[in-house]
Amino acid sequence: MQILRPSSLLEACHLLESDPWDTRPLAGGTALVLMLRQGLVAPRAVVRLDGVDGLDGLEVTPHGLRIGALTTLTDVAASPVVQAHAPSLAYACSRVGNLRVRNAATLGGNVAEADYASDPPSVLVSLDAWCQVAGPSGGTRDVPVRELITGFLTTTLEPGEVVQAVVVPLDPGGRRATYEKYISRSSEDRPCVGVAASVQLRDGAVRGLTVVVGAVAGTPQRFDDLTAQAVGTTLGPSVRRSVASAYASAVDAMDDARGSAWYRQQMTEVVVRRALERIAPVAAGGGA
Amino acid sequence: MRRPVLGADQPMPDAVDRVVGTIRFAVDHAVPGMLHGRLVSSQSPHARIVSVDATEALAVPGVRAVVTGADIARDPRVPHPLFGVSRPDQPPLATDKVRYVGEPVALVVAETERAARAAAVLVDVEYEDLPYVTDPAEALRPGAPVLHDQWPDNACGDWRLQRGDVDAVFRQAEHVVEHVYHSPAASQVPLEPFVAVAEWDDAGSLEVWSSTQWPSAVQRVLAHMFDRPLDQVRVHAPPLGGGYGAKGQVKIEPMVACAALLVGQPVRLELDRVEVFHVVCKHEATMRLRTAVDGEGRLLARDIDLLYNAGAYGITDPGAAGNALVRANGPYRVPAVRIRSRAAYTSTVPSGSYRGAMTNQVSFAYESQLDEIAALLGKDPYELRRLNLLVDGDTYATGETMHDVHFIELVDEVASVIDWHAPPEPPPSATTVRGKGLAVILKSTPTPSRTECRVELHADGSVVVFTSSVEMGQGAFATIAQLAAHHLDVDLSRVSVVGPDTARTPFDTMTAGSRTTFSNDHALHEAAAHLREHLDGLARELLGWSGPTQHGDGCVSTSDEGPVPYELLLAKAGVDVVDVTGVFQSVGGEGMKDPSDVHGHTSVHWHQGAVAVEVEVDLETGKVEVLRCHGASWAGRVVNPARVRQQNDGCMIMGIGTALYEDLQVVDGQVVNPNMSDYMIPSVLDVPQALTSRALVSDDPAAELHGVGEMTIPATAPAIANAVFRATAVRVRDLPLTAERVLSAVRGREPQEGA
Repeated sequence: MQILRPSSLLEACHLLESDPWDTRPLAGGTALVLMLRQGLVAPRAVVRLDGVDGLDGLEVTPHGLRIGALTTLTDVAASPVVQAHAPSLAYACSRVGNLRVRNAATLGGNVAEADYASDPPSVLVSLDAWCQVAGPSGGTRDVPVRELITGFLTTTLEPGEVVQAVVVPLDPGGRRATYEKYISRSSEDRPCVGVAASVQLRDGAVRGLTVVVGAVAGTPQRFDDLTAQAVGTTLGPSVRRSVASAYASAVDAMDDARGSAWYRQQMTEVVVRRALERIAPVAAGGGA
Repeated sequence: MRRPVLGADQPMPDAVDRVVGTIRFAVDHAVPGMLHGRLVSSQSPHARIVSVDATEALAVPGVRAVVTGADIARDPRVPHPLFGVSRPDQPPLATDKVRYVGEPVALVVAETERAARAAAVLVDVEYEDLPYVTDPAEALRPGAPVLHDQWPDNACGDWRLQRGDVDAVFRQAEHVVEHVYHSPAASQVPLEPFVAVAEWDDAGSLEVWSSTQWPSAVQRVLAHMFDRPLDQVRVHAPPLGGGYGAKGQVKIEPMVACAALLVGQPVRLELDRVEVFHVVCKHEATMRLRTAVDGEGRLLARDIDLLYNAGAYGITDPGAAGNALVRANGPYRVPAVRIRSRAAYTSTVPSGSYRGAMTNQVSFAYESQLDEIAALLGKDPYELRRLNLLVDGDTYATGETMHDVHFIELVDEVASVIDWHAPPEPPPSATTVRGKGLAVILKSTPTPSRTECRVELHADGSVVVFTSSVEMGQGAFATIAQLAAHHLDVDLSRVSVVGPDTARTPFDTMTAGSRTTFSNDHALHEAAAHLREHLDGLARELLGWSGPTQHGDGCVSTSDEGPVPYELLLAKAGVDVVDVTGVFQSVGGEGMKDPSDVHGHTSVHWHQGAVAVEVEVDLETGKVEVLRCHGASWAGRVVNPARVRQQNDGCMIMGIGTALYEDLQVVDGQVVNPNMSDYMIPSVLDVPQALTSRALVSDDPAAELHGVGEMTIPATAPAIANAVFRATAVRVRDLPLTAERVLSAVRGREPQEGA
C-alpha cells in the first residue's frame, strides 16, 4: 500500500479522483486504520490529508461557525468558540470514544466516514450544519450533513471530493440545543441511541424544534413533520411525550450488539423525551 | 531488629517498568535470524480441508514457507503432533479438517511481518463444509455432528457425585425450588497478546520464549511432541502483560515450534486481537439447580446438573467439569447432594481457564438461587446464608471435613460494610431504584501440585531466589522476595528473584488457581530450614562451632559464638555460595480419581470470598449501575496489603464486566464480536465510586497463607443479580445483565435473540 502526501488540497482531490475505488483519504485514521488492520479495506494507496493547507481553522464567519475538517474532536470539544455558538456539538464531541480517540479523530473525517454509531453526525443534522466540499475541479460546493450521509458508511461525496470544513449556522437568538447519549454497555462504548435536539424559543414558546436520533439506523433520523406539533407550545410534558412516542414509532431501528431493534425503539422514546426535558423552557418543567 | 517484612507494603520492583513500558515482556523478545509467522485461520465452523494452495503466497517476496497441518502430520520429526494438557486432542495446525471458525489452518513464515501478512491473505484453502453444532446440549444428542472421531459422542467430561438419599429428601421436603441459570462464553482479554518464539539448535534442542502461565507444561508437551528428553526443551516465560487464565496450559507454542523445525530457522508469532479472541474463552454453562429446603430455610438436598461448552478442543476439559462439580454445591452445609457435570465438544472457540475458573458460573447459579429461596420463604438473604454456611468440622458435599473455613466472617464483613440492614440511599429520580445484594463463594485449589524454590546465598550476603512462578502483573516476584526475606530472616533489599527458565529455575506446576503465594510460602519455609542446616554444618565443620545455633537478622550464633553475619560465615569458611532447594508438594485430591463417583479429599485447602454491592437500576432503560462494591477474601496472613487489595479490587472490576456486559457471541458458527469495540470490558468509568475490599486474617502468626487472585470475582455477578432483584423484584438468570435483558424482565417481556 502506498502512502501519498499531496502538497495541496487540489492535488489530494486529483489523487483521489484518479483511482476512486482503490484510494482512500486518511485524516485522523481512527476509522480507516482499524479497517485496514482488520482487512475490511485494502486500498492501493492512502492519501494523507494532514499537512494539506486549507483543512484547518476554527472561526466565526458571516455564514456560521466554520470548523476546518482536520480539527480534532478534542479541539472541537475544548474550543470556547464552539462552546459559545454550538454547545451541543462541543458536548457530543467530548463524549466520543475515549481521549486517545478524540485526540486523533477529526470532525471532517467523522462526517465523511458516515458511521451510524457515532455521536457528532446527529448533532450536526439537528443544527442544520453543512459541509464545504472541495472537488477536483478546484471549486467547492455546500452539502447539508443531512443530505451528505445516505446510509451505512455511504455519502453523496463524488470521486475526488473531500470535506474541507463543517459549517454550523449561528444561533439567531433563543436556541437551546442538547445531545443525549445513551450507552447500553461500558462507558467507553458507542451510543446505543444518541438524540440531538434543538429548539428555537421566543417568549417561552417554541418557534421551531428539531430532533435527530443517531445510532439507531443507517442515517441520522430526523422527522420534521413529527416535531411540528411542538410549534407554538411551551414544550410541556405532554408535547414532549407525544413527540418522543412519535419518534419511537417512526425510527427505522436496527439490531446490533448494543441492542435489538425493539430495544432501540424503546430507548428512542426514553432518550428523546429526556432530551426535550433538557431543552424545554424552565417554566415547562425543563431545563434540568 | 528489622520491621517485619510480611504484612507491610513493600515496593514491587518492576512496577515502574511496567507502568512506563520499559519492562521486557515476552512480546518484546527477539532472536537473531528470526522469521515471522502469520496465521491463516478457518472460515468454516466444521469442514474437511480439501486443499491448501500456497502458490500465490509463496510468490510474495520474503516468504519462506507456508506450513500446514499436513506438513506437520507427515514429518517424522514430530511423532506426537496432538497435544493437550487435559486430553491430547489438538493439532498445532488443523489437519484434515477444521473444527471452529478461527482455528489456525496454516502458518505463513516470512522474513518480515509485513510479508507474512501480505501473503497470508493469498493462501487459498478449499473447504468441504460439514454439518456443525455450537450448542453443547445438541452436541450430546445422538446423531449430532461429530468433532473428534475418537470421541464420537462429543463428550469431554462427565462427572458425578452422590451423597445421601437425595430423592427421599426431595420427596419429604417442605419446599423444592428449581431454576436454570446460564453463563455465556467470555474472553479473558489480556492486554498482551499470545506470543511465542521458537529456536532449534543443530543438536536438536528446542528453546522457546512464550507468553505462558505454565512453562513446565509447555516444556513437557513439546518434549513429548518431538520425542525429546526434557533437558533438550528449554522454556522461558518472561513477565506477562496479563494472563487471567488465558495463558494457562499450552496454546500457540506447538505451532511455532513445528514451524521453526520445518523451516529450519527461529520463528516468532504474535497474534492480533481478533486472533486472541479465537484462542480460548471462558466455558459457556447451563446450570439446573433443584434444591430442597425446610420451612426455616435450611438446605436439605440438592440435585445439580451442569452442562459446559468445551469448544472444539479440551484445553482444560475433561478435567474442568470435574472442578466445577466439586465447587457447584457452594459453601453450604447440605446433607444430600447429587451432581452431574458434563462438557461437550462443539464447533466454537475452545474453552479454558478464566480467572475464577469453573467457579464463576456455578457461583452465579447457587448464589442467585439462594436469594430466590430467601424470597420464597420471606427470609433475609444474609440471615439465610448465615444459617447454612459451612463452619469448621462440617462435612462438605464431597464427604471431606472442612477446616479453616471462614464464610460467616466473610459474609458478616461485607454485610457490615454495605450497611446490609439499612435501606439503600434514596434514588435520584422516580424512575430509578436501588438495592443491595451479596454473595459468598468457595473454590478448591489445584491438588496435588508442586512448587520448588532454589535459593542461593552468596558470599556478599545477597540472596537469589530461582522460581518458575510467572510474573504477570500480580506481583509474584515481589511476593516471593518478601517471603524469602521473611523465612531467611534477611533484609529484603538483599533478595532478588530469577524468573521462569526451565533450564535454570526449578519446577512449578503452574501460575494459576491462586496457588503461587501459598505454595511458595511453604517451599521457601523449607528452603530456609535447609539453608540454616547447611550453614550450621559449615560452622561446625569449618569453624569448629559446637552446640545448638540460633539464626536471626541474617546472622548465626551459639551461646558461645557470634552473632556472625551469613556473609562473614561464608567468607570465613571460604565458600562462595550456598545453594538449597525447598519443595512444596501438596498431596491429596484422590476424591477426583473416579469421575463417575467423586468423593473424598479434593482440595488441599479452600479459597473463600464474598462480595456485597449496592446498585441503581434505571427502570426506563434497564441499565444497571454499581454504586458501591465491597469484597472480602480469606487470606490467613497477608504478605503485602496493597497487592492483596489490588487483587480483590481487580477481581470485582473484572466481575462487573461479566455481570453486565461480556458475552462472546456466536452466530452461525462464528464469533461476531471478536474485537474490543464490539466486545465490551469495563472501562475505568464503570468502576463504582466506592470500591473497597478487605482480606481477613487469622490471629495465629503461623496461619496458612491463602491465595487471593480470584476470590471476589465469582461473587460479584451473583451479588449484582441479587441486588437487581431486590431493587426491581425481577430475577435475571442469564448473564450478562444487559440493559435490554433487565428492561425486558421489568416489562415481563421475553428478550430478543442476541440481546
